[in-house]
Amino acid sequence: MAGPKGTSVSSQQKGKAGSSSVPAIQAAVDSLWKSYNDTTSPRLKLIDAFLVFIMLTGAAQFLYCILVTNYPFNAFLAGFASSIGQFVLTASLRSQVNPENREQFKDVSPERAFADFAFGSIVLHFFVFNFLG
Amino acid sequence: MARWLSFLAQVAAFASLAWANSSTGDSVLVVLEKELQREQFSTFFNGLEERGYQLTFREPKAKSPAVSDADIPQFSHVILFSPTTKSYADDITPQSLVSLLASNVNIIFTLSPTQTPISSLASEFSLILPPPHTPLLSHFPPRDTPPTTIPISISANAPFVTPGTSPILFSGVPHALSTNPLVVPFVHAPPESFAAESESDGGADAVVDAAEKGGEGLWAGSSMGVITGFQTKGGGRAMWVGGVDVFSDDFAQSEVEKGVKSGNAQFSQDIAAWTFQETGVLRIDNTTHHKVGEVSSPETYTVNDRIVYTTHISKYDPTSSKWVPYSGLTDLQLEFTMLDPHIRTALKPLAGVPGAYQLTFRAPDRHGVFKFVIDYKRKGWSHLSSAITVPVVPPRHDGYPRFLSAAWPYYAGAMSTSVGFVLFSALWLAGDVRDGKKAKGKGKAE
Repeated sequence: MAGPKGTSVSSQQKGKAGSSSVPAIQAAVDSLWKSYNDTTSPRLKLIDAFLVFIMLTGAAQFLYCILVTNYPFNAFLAGFASSIGQFVLTASLRSQVNPENREQFKDVSPERAFADFAFGSIVLHFFVFNFLG
Repeated sequence: MARWLSFLAQVAAFASLAWANSSTGDSVLVVLEKELQREQFSTFFNGLEERGYQLTFREPKAKSPAVSDADIPQFSHVILFSPTTKSYADDITPQSLVSLLASNVNIIFTLSPTQTPISSLASEFSLILPPPHTPLLSHFPPRDTPPTTIPISISANAPFVTPGTSPILFSGVPHALSTNPLVVPFVHAPPESFAAESESDGGADAVVDAAEKGGEGLWAGSSMGVITGFQTKGGGRAMWVGGVDVFSDDFAQSEVEKGVKSGNAQFSQDIAAWTFQETGVLRIDNTTHHKVGEVSSPETYTVNDRIVYTTHISKYDPTSSKWVPYSGLTDLQLEFTMLDPHIRTALKPLAGVPGAYQLTFRAPDRHGVFKFVIDYKRKGWSHLSSAITVPVVPPRHDGYPRFLSAAWPYYAGAMSTSVGFVLFSALWLAGDVRDGKKAKGKGKAE
């Protein structure tokens, strides 16, 4: 209870010194991060961490292809598709496992969702390593 | 005393060639015309016999011994001392002499101011003769002998002539040399000589007119050759001598100047040695090629292979009649050719192995049928040629590198995604188990 008030007071005090746009953005990001931290369960945070990791690896491969060389193009396609595919599978796992979406996925239990995710991932990795050369 | 010493020196130099053998055989046919006697050339012929040649004499019109029988040459060498003969027996025609040269028979031709079938053959060898009855004349150096007998000094870079040979006496016709690369000039005419009618300078006016016309029809100067060799592609060597008197005893025993005997005896033996393939004769003994690190030649090479090519070259040593390994070629080249030489580089002598030349190179990035080509032609030396055909194939499907270094970010990305998936699944299932235990615990508690 005391927390939100304290932050708003401190942010108003900061605002008196310079322009008010940067601290506002800063405040928005902070509150977003705080509400995310408070509202998501540890299981979903695990999935989100995995998603961020996949996104970074995918972005790194894409940048390498554009900036340096796309010489073994099949290798680029395989690596990038691995990231994209894994991201899509993990995102759909998150949707199906999220308790807030229970009404949408009535006939899919979390275990069933995870089994689908695991099977899809294994098939994806098989194709990826085949195409990687 | 000085004369004695110089005489002894000449004898010693002569004796050094006392035994010398040709690399192609000993039998010599001497076609001697009726106007000349064997005794007139005793120095030359005895010198040849001392060096081991078997001489057979015949006249131009005699039918036997024939020069060749059913296209097989009967002699290894032919000397034509018939400069004024206009008709020969059937076996000696310009065509038969050329085919003899193609069969590795060596011939010494002699010319004279008279026009003969042999002088028309000279143009086939890119030697252009002056008009008939115009011998070489020179009024310098002032001397007692007629202007047609000319002392010519042997230049230091005449090939395969004993260094320090005294000037020779020459009498005969000059010839103009063309740029044919097979021509090996031995002796050029002196700069102050010219070709004209010999009777008391009757032709001097013609020479002056020709000079004033800008050189058209002017036969003068040292660009004319007087004794010229010719190395044919078939291996046989021809020697065109402008006058037969170079070999005569008279000239061999005369003095070119006070106290200096002419070098004709030594010089005629030297040019006979070159013509009869004693000196300046090379051959390739054998050639090997293989990949670096192997010993035997593979059936095919792969693109970008490293190949080692070795060749062994010998030179004929006339004094011992043997082929001796020779590492003295400094400009030998190897070509690795498919239609065009993809590689043309120096073949260097291999240190430690006499006569061996080796090169290690990388096969080009093209596949196809290539040839290792050695094509060595130098003036005065016999030609070396060798061509070994070898296929170069592209790499087999498993000959390419397995992993490309340019693709490592993609390998890393794919691997990290898989590892991440496995870790995530482990953590997720561990979380599931923990939640399950908690739920069970709660359920039991309640």
